[in-house]
Amino acid sequence: MLPVERVIGEEGLAVNADGLRLAMRLPWYRSLPFSTVEVASLVIDGEPIDLSEANVEYEGHSWPLAELGEQTNAFWFVRDSAFLHLPGRTAAPGSAHEVALIVNVSPPYIPGMKRANPQIEVLHVAA
Amino acid sequence: MTLNSGPQVGVTFYSFTNPWLTRKFDLAGLCREVARRGMGPNIEIIGFQSFKEFPDISDDFAARFKDLMAETGLNPVSCAINSDRFLKPGQQPIDDASLVEYHKRQLRSAKKMGFSLVRYQFALPVELLPDIAPYAEELDIRMGVEVHAPMWAGHPAVQAYGEMYAKLDTPYLGWIPDFGGTASRIPESMLNAARAVGAKESLLDKLKEVWLEPGMSHEKAGRLREWALAEGHDPAHIQAASLAFFILANNDPKSWATLVDRTIHIHGKFYGMGADGREEAIDYETILPLFRDGGFTGTMVSEWEGHAYLADDGFDQVEAHQAMCRRIFAGG
Repeated sequence: MLPVERVIGEEGLAVNADGLRLAMRLPWYRSLPFSTVEVASLVIDGEPIDLSEANVEYEGHSWPLAELGEQTNAFWFVRDSAFLHLPGRTAAPGSAHEVALIVNVSPPYIPGMKRANPQIEVLHVAA
Repeated sequence: MTLNSGPQVGVTFYSFTNPWLTRKFDLAGLCREVARRGMGPNIEIIGFQSFKEFPDISDDFAARFKDLMAETGLNPVSCAINSDRFLKPGQQPIDDASLVEYHKRQLRSAKKMGFSLVRYQFALPVELLPDIAPYAEELDIRMGVEVHAPMWAGHPAVQAYGEMYAKLDTPYLGWIPDFGGTASRIPESMLNAARAVGAKESLLDKLKEVWLEPGMSHEKAGRLREWALAEGHDPAHIQAASLAFFILANNDPKSWATLVDRTIHIHGKFYGMGADGREEAIDYETILPLFRDGGFTGTMVSEWEGHAYLADDGFDQVEAHQAMCRRIFAGG
């Protein structure tokens, strides 16, 4: 996998009292406004995860996934991870899980272009 | 210091997208590496790639960046800015006033960091130039629109910009040619990357044939896709092969001659340097003399884009490319 195709962040999957967090990387060569990013799907151990309550966390901000499209002036720096927060979900620290994430990007200077970026990794849950 | 009045050879940090994304280098580390390897002093940086605060750079960050340039001896020539007009996918583009302001924010930031020009994009509707050019003049920073594949000197959008440039008649507006629009063939390294993921020769043969046909990039990509699906090729292989339509076009290398006079900066786009010291797809021996002999005295930055399909760090490639360009600029 090329660096520009990576969507699962180096920080991996972590659990704490308010749910699971998955690190995500932006699959593009430059920073983009969050409004042009779409978390298309997440499957853990073969189970499609309902993302209707999920949030995206970045630099002290937390946006409901459903409102990400409004964030036209919040930029995801291309070297940073953002975090997908899944409230209420849990997993045993140290346990291994197959995570399949698809992140779509629509570069805002190329009308009509949408790139789907899938990645599957086995991650160990950090506490 | 020797006075060199001819074209300068520099580098864009875009060439090092791979070690940047993998966090091998931070900004200071990358500047030091570029300086250590003698790839400058003239550099280009994409604002939205390398500066976390972009599009609004703080005074504090700008001061630290200037210190870094002083420490490394690098010269920040070009800051690539983006004409992000489609901030809400699938919806209407942002309104004109917002797009103008979006450009002004980036111009202010580039100026504050000490860049002498910005690269901007054709996504900016030409009729908005009269609203932006006076601001660039006021800031004293030049703007070059990037003529990038599938565009080329003869493209209608380039002609429309040329007419507006003539009307506004200011030295603050110019061209930034990107040689990917005049490639002579598809890079073998790109074809090899498609082979490595399993693309069959029959698919690549058809790609080479369709790539040479007239038409818009997305039409040609659609034509290849339709044929390839009917022939039973894997969609992943088709996607790997189709990259060529979007980053390269095969217009006449000599066509750049008409843009030389207003060229303020150049993207020396390349993919792979052969053992013979030539670029594998773009005919530099034909293109560079047009600028050298036409009086161009700005900077051509080496722009390695093989990271679109290879994991290399780009450094060796840039060294070989710069050696070729210096040879040709020197008349060799």
